Amino acid sequence: MKFINTIAVQTGRNLQKTWPTQFMTLLTVTLSVLIFSFFFLIYTNIIKTGEKLGDDLRLTIYLEEEPVLEMQAQLVRKIINFSPVEEIRFTSRNDAFKRLATQLGDNVDVLDDLDASFLPPSIEIYPQKNLNTLAQIQRFSEYLSTLPGAVKVQYGQEWIERFNYFTKLLQIIVFLSGILLIMTATFMVAYTIRLAVVARQAELEILRLLGATNNYIRTPFLIEGFLQGLFGSSLGLLALFFLYRWIQLRFTGPGILQLVQFTFFSPAIICIIIFASISLCIGGSFSSMRKFMRI
Amino acid sequence: MKKKQANKPIIEIVRATKIYPPDVVALEDITLSIPYGEMLFLTGMSGAGKTTLLKLICGIEYPDKGLVEVAGKDMNRIKANEIPRLRQQIGMAYQDFKLLADRTVAQNISMAMEVAYHNIRAIKNRVIELLQKLRLEHKYDALAGRLSRGEQQRVAIARAVANSPTLILADEPTGNLDSKTTKLVMKLFEDCNSSGTTVIIATHDEDIYRETDYRVLELHSGRFLAQEDMTTSTSNNMP
Repeated sequence: MKFINTIAVQTGRNLQKTWPTQFMTLLTVTLSVLIFSFFFLIYTNIIKTGEKLGDDLRLTIYLEEEPVLEMQAQLVRKIINFSPVEEIRFTSRNDAFKRLATQLGDNVDVLDDLDASFLPPSIEIYPQKNLNTLAQIQRFSEYLSTLPGAVKVQYGQEWIERFNYFTKLLQIIVFLSGILLIMTATFMVAYTIRLAVVARQAELEILRLLGATNNYIRTPFLIEGFLQGLFGSSLGLLALFFLYRWIQLRFTGPGILQLVQFTFFSPAIICIIIFASISLCIGGSFSSMRKFMRI
Repeated sequence: MKKKQANKPIIEIVRATKIYPPDVVALEDITLSIPYGEMLFLTGMSGAGKTTLLKLICGIEYPDKGLVEVAGKDMNRIKANEIPRLRQQIGMAYQDFKLLADRTVAQNISMAMEVAYHNIRAIKNRVIELLQKLRLEHKYDALAGRLSRGEQQRVAIARAVANSPTLILADEPTGNLDSKTTKLVMKLFEDCNSSGTTVIIATHDEDIYRETDYRVLELHSGRFLAQEDMTTSTSNNMP
């Protein structure tokens, strides 16, 4: 208890003396956490959306001729042998015509002089959830195009490819902002502690002569690092939460945000971000002490 | 540690030599034994080696040759984590005071007790008691940097004795004091010695030891004068 009281008094005294530098560091850590968690939030939401879209993934093979029953069984066997699927559905010319008529609704009369022969028969394939990378889908699609009677395979290639590149770009941004967070949290805190150590060199020298233990000298600096990490990350996440609420209020309605189920971080993720920030700041503080404090 | 340990010296120095680079011999072949509870004076001219000897005793400097043992610890072999504990048992009043100018008198004195994790109330009471003894109670909240040299010296002495150490080392403690204040300081050292603390005072102020029975060791160019007579401790001057 005496140790805690003494260290608390020491820490309070240090913070009081170096508050302008401490404040600037706190601000930097807050901004870094905000930048990182902003991109990370977008990334996690995009990934979730991707998973959701993946659930609706469907590959359509357009055929030259309607396959007879034996041929259908053979095609199913070939498809399943290559990759297990959730469902395979054959669509005849007539079924396709009926579906088109339904989709046209009030404009159905445009089909009056036409018969179903202009529409190709098709096979709709709903792959399993484990088929989730662009490369896997492309490989499957290439295989399907080699099936007997296949004319064309469609799965929204262009859209999926763009989505894939977008998530990769986000991955890079998250990675870079993560590095930014690590650098700012570690280096800024290390720099602040270094300044504090230099400013208090005379005091630390006297403390050593009076018999201060390493714990007595180090602990207040580590607590400063801990507080920088705790408050910096909490403020950063709080700012992000307000930004998230603002986006929700301003951008609700039809548009991309309806497609994307935009959600905030789970409590577990919040705890991990705070814990990581605290660890980085304590690490920065510790490294600075090792370098500049000969104890 | 404060209890006197019969026949065991608190300080045992055997043929210690200290040379500062490149070749300044500060102490040469010093042998000294000081039992628990003794009060003695180290005298000699400036540069005689008084401060170096005190520094060897409190582990600020280490001997190049010979043995320095304090409270049974060989200062050349002492583990790094044992030094703080030992220093908490040694109160040193430095010649240059080593006070923090931007801290108050009370804060400067408190530091010695804070590092030993005393509780805040005990620290405050002890600080007030010491300031009263040294007639500095009105300077409790004054910044150390704004005090006169004499007042700063008394604050440094108060800090040295604050933690009720087993060993007090005072380097020229009366150098800036008038005779009246010198008496106050010496009374404080004598009180500490009466309660069992070993006190070593390095001084060239003859007035403070001339009419006392305490052992006086004179250093000259890093060696004790008539050292053979001084190495055997005299027990008749112990309190």
